Amino acid sequence: MPRSITRPLSAILGQCALFAGAILITTPALYMLSASFMTNSELFSARFQLLPSTLYWGNYVEVFARFNFMRYLSNSVFVTGVIVLLNLLFSPMVGYSLAKFDYPGKNILLLFILATVMVPFTAILIPLFLIVRGLGWVNTYQGLIIPFAMSAFGIFLMRQFIVSVPDDYIDAARIDGASEFRIYFQIVLPLIQPALITLAIIVFVASWDEFLWMLVVTTGDALRTLPIGLAKFREQYQTRFELMMAGSVIAAAPVVIMFLALQRRFLQGMAGLSGLK
Amino acid sequence: MIGTSQEQHLRNQSLHQRRRGILGNTLEAQKKRFGLIFALPAFFFFGAFYLYPLFQTFYVSLFSWGLLDAPRFLGMANYSRLFTDREFINSVWVSFVYAFGVVVPIWFIALGLALIFNRPFPGRQAYLTVYYIPAVISLTVWSLIWLLMYNPTFGLFSVAARAVGITGLRMLDDPSTAMPAMIILSIWKGTPVYMVIFIAGLRAIPTDYYEAAQIDGANAWQRLLYITLPLLRPVFLYVMVISIIEAFKVFTPMYILTNGGPGSATRVLSMFIFQNGFQYLKMGYASAASVIFLLILLALAIVQFRLLRFQQND
Repeated sequence: MPRSITRPLSAILGQCALFAGAILITTPALYMLSASFMTNSELFSARFQLLPSTLYWGNYVEVFARFNFMRYLSNSVFVTGVIVLLNLLFSPMVGYSLAKFDYPGKNILLLFILATVMVPFTAILIPLFLIVRGLGWVNTYQGLIIPFAMSAFGIFLMRQFIVSVPDDYIDAARIDGASEFRIYFQIVLPLIQPALITLAIIVFVASWDEFLWMLVVTTGDALRTLPIGLAKFREQYQTRFELMMAGSVIAAAPVVIMFLALQRRFLQGMAGLSGLK
Repeated sequence: MIGTSQEQHLRNQSLHQRRRGILGNTLEAQKKRFGLIFALPAFFFFGAFYLYPLFQTFYVSLFSWGLLDAPRFLGMANYSRLFTDREFINSVWVSFVYAFGVVVPIWFIALGLALIFNRPFPGRQAYLTVYYIPAVISLTVWSLIWLLMYNPTFGLFSVAARAVGITGLRMLDDPSTAMPAMIILSIWKGTPVYMVIFIAGLRAIPTDYYEAAQIDGANAWQRLLYITLPLLRPVFLYVMVISIIEAFKVFTPMYILTNGGPGSATRVLSMFIFQNGFQYLKMGYASAASVIFLLILLALAIVQFRLLRFQQND
């Protein structure tokens, strides 16, 4: 077949395959959305239904009424918010120090921070719990938050960005007599603003999703975050899938909305983790 | 008189020099001090929440400790028990099966998708957004969705399987299908992240290479084989290391869908550590398992870095 025919044909086939792939890939998420609007009997009916017959909002009402959902939601917002703020405070500071200063112990710190990326959280779960328990922080907000106040990848990300800030800017300010703190806040931080947004997104997603630690450190219902609340809900109400899905939609919504609003930054951030920009 | 004034002069001079010396030093020292001040939180944090726990893991692993009783020193007994514990051996095996069952397909699918997305086509950005969606859904939520998907009577997955003639599928209740069930949902969720990393890697390859190859008459397949793939090696290594660590860390889907079962079919190492530590309160035993877990990942990382060096040399 001549190329002039096969070209558009393969393009059309390619588009069809991509479209089919898109449908397949989003099916679980759309299924969750659909099931969250079904009644229990609709979901359990012998005749399979892909879509609800009517948009039934009752599950969303019931999820808030039946259990501590509001509490889980506000815990998640608070804990995630504070973790993001702490990371925004510390990561650029440490990253700046590692990028532009020289002092004894610096290389050891850098090496150690890099090495912790390789240490799976599970491997230090037990002793971390023992430390937090020793501090009396089990089932407290500080117990949920402090172990995530800094992250190795956040510091490393900041270091990589700050290394590319020209030394001249910093030295010029120094000659003009600006204090080190002023240089940091008025020169370095504004220059790395895009990186800070990336950092905030990555930390937000990771802490909104954090499961194992929150599971271990919360002993009662009062401090549970959304993921733990949902998991406990699943244990209590094995068959109320429509409620689980309504709760899931609410838990998934903030990150999905943020992603749709800031997709480029999001994708760059994920790629940025690998050191590529 | 003269002598004293000379002495005075010398003293002044040395004082002056010293002051200059001190001043010079203070500028440097000041910089050093600020560098340290800025890094201080990290020293404290990583010391308290990473370095100390790492030592503590090993220390606690030498004891028998149920949290409420006094720790009893055992020496290496926890380790010798681990190596004869069939549950533990099973967990190591299950972790390996899961990790490689997930990461190997992810590498190929993610790379394939990245190659597709590397070229411009209508609607590229929109498709990229849609393809990325599984990655931004919380893993807890994702696990709950698949709990529903796998439901034998009305779950979409089972219904779809029935539609193609596979009946009586009970993915999560059957020991032989529980692990594949975990692997499917993990590939589905994990692929987009690595796809984006590969896309960034592909974009970093200078286009002149391709232009030169085209002038030399290389076809698309040759360009892929001799330019793209070799230049993508560092990215591929990064993806390998990170994806394997991530896969070994897995916990949430098992906790929500199977709790390690049926039997021990999906009891990965994290699950083993969690259950021994926080359900059976065997702190020492769980710590010993953590140490082995760490050593396994360390060994895997060393193998991978060896691979990198080998690839760089050839």
